[in-house]
Amino acid sequence: MDVRKISDQAQSRAELGDAAGAARDTWRIGDEEMTSRFFLGTGLFPNPFVQNEAIAASGAEVLTFAIRRVDLESAEDDSILQHLEPGKFRFLPNTSGSRTAEEAVRIARLARASGLSDWIKVEISANERTLLPDPIETLRATEILVKEGFTVLPYISDDPVICRKLEEAGAAAIMPGGAPIGTGLGILNPYNIGLIAEEANVPVIVDAGLGTASDAALAMELGAAAILMNTPVAKAQDPVGMALAMKLAIEGGRLAYLSGRMGKKKYASASSGFDALKVE
Amino acid sequence: MAELTINGKRKELDADTLADVVELLGLGGRPVVAEVNGEVVASEKWAETQVASGMKIELVHFVGGG
Repeated sequence: MDVRKISDQAQSRAELGDAAGAARDTWRIGDEEMTSRFFLGTGLFPNPFVQNEAIAASGAEVLTFAIRRVDLESAEDDSILQHLEPGKFRFLPNTSGSRTAEEAVRIARLARASGLSDWIKVEISANERTLLPDPIETLRATEILVKEGFTVLPYISDDPVICRKLEEAGAAAIMPGGAPIGTGLGILNPYNIGLIAEEANVPVIVDAGLGTASDAALAMELGAAAILMNTPVAKAQDPVGMALAMKLAIEGGRLAYLSGRMGKKKYASASSGFDALKVE
Repeated sequence: MAELTINGKRKELDADTLADVVELLGLGGRPVVAEVNGEVVASEKWAETQVASGMKIELVHFVGGG
């Protein structure tokens, strides 16, 4: 499959949309104005080459990372950053591996000390099997980090009440999960995601649990501002093709959201009417 | 010789400062973040940060993740 060619076609469609006044659809977190609505994770890719191709196909402007101890026994430079073009991306480090607010705050401070980003994805898992976020610790960490001047993007369960509390605590965006991390189950509770998107005054980024392009399109149709994903792209048979599929699905879902879908009806209504077809 | 705990492992290094530690471990010039006894130390301060036996040092970096 010639991914670049499809991408070019999609690009010219986007320009057509521009001409129709439908595009130029940017969004913001803090002072950062973005065009892409796709945040891409950098874990689990088969190799750095495929990862870079997938990043290019995705059009992502924001990449996520984790913070871990340097392996002192391995002399080689295994830093993920060496494979990326400097200055091209906004970095969103996460606090994965933390179980309490204090651990998450510590990881966030280490991440900021890199000098690469003051954005932080708060990710505090309460349970190793489900990796579901601990809402109490996530709220506490968000409060602390907002006070310390971080741009805080908490990963949280799809509960409208805790999402509202995180927004009140100063989160720059809210990132509810569609399903547990890495499951690919899609959006398990579309009603909640839709309600969260409707009520929020900050961008809602659906993070975790998506599996394929239709999941991403649905999230956008429900009113999400963006999608964050990693596994569905990295673990696809063809990660580069899937990165493009997700990009197009996000754009399609977004445009459908902006365009306003038709109402649902219980019974059929013919597109052309029936009366003119009646023959005596 | 300073007897240090680095990333949870005991190491004896001929180091006076944090900058020496990073250099001796072969991490000079790499995008590494350091924490000494639980406090982040910015890279500009590594050369003036003295190390002594018993200190706990963490050296972390960005890895792939979602």
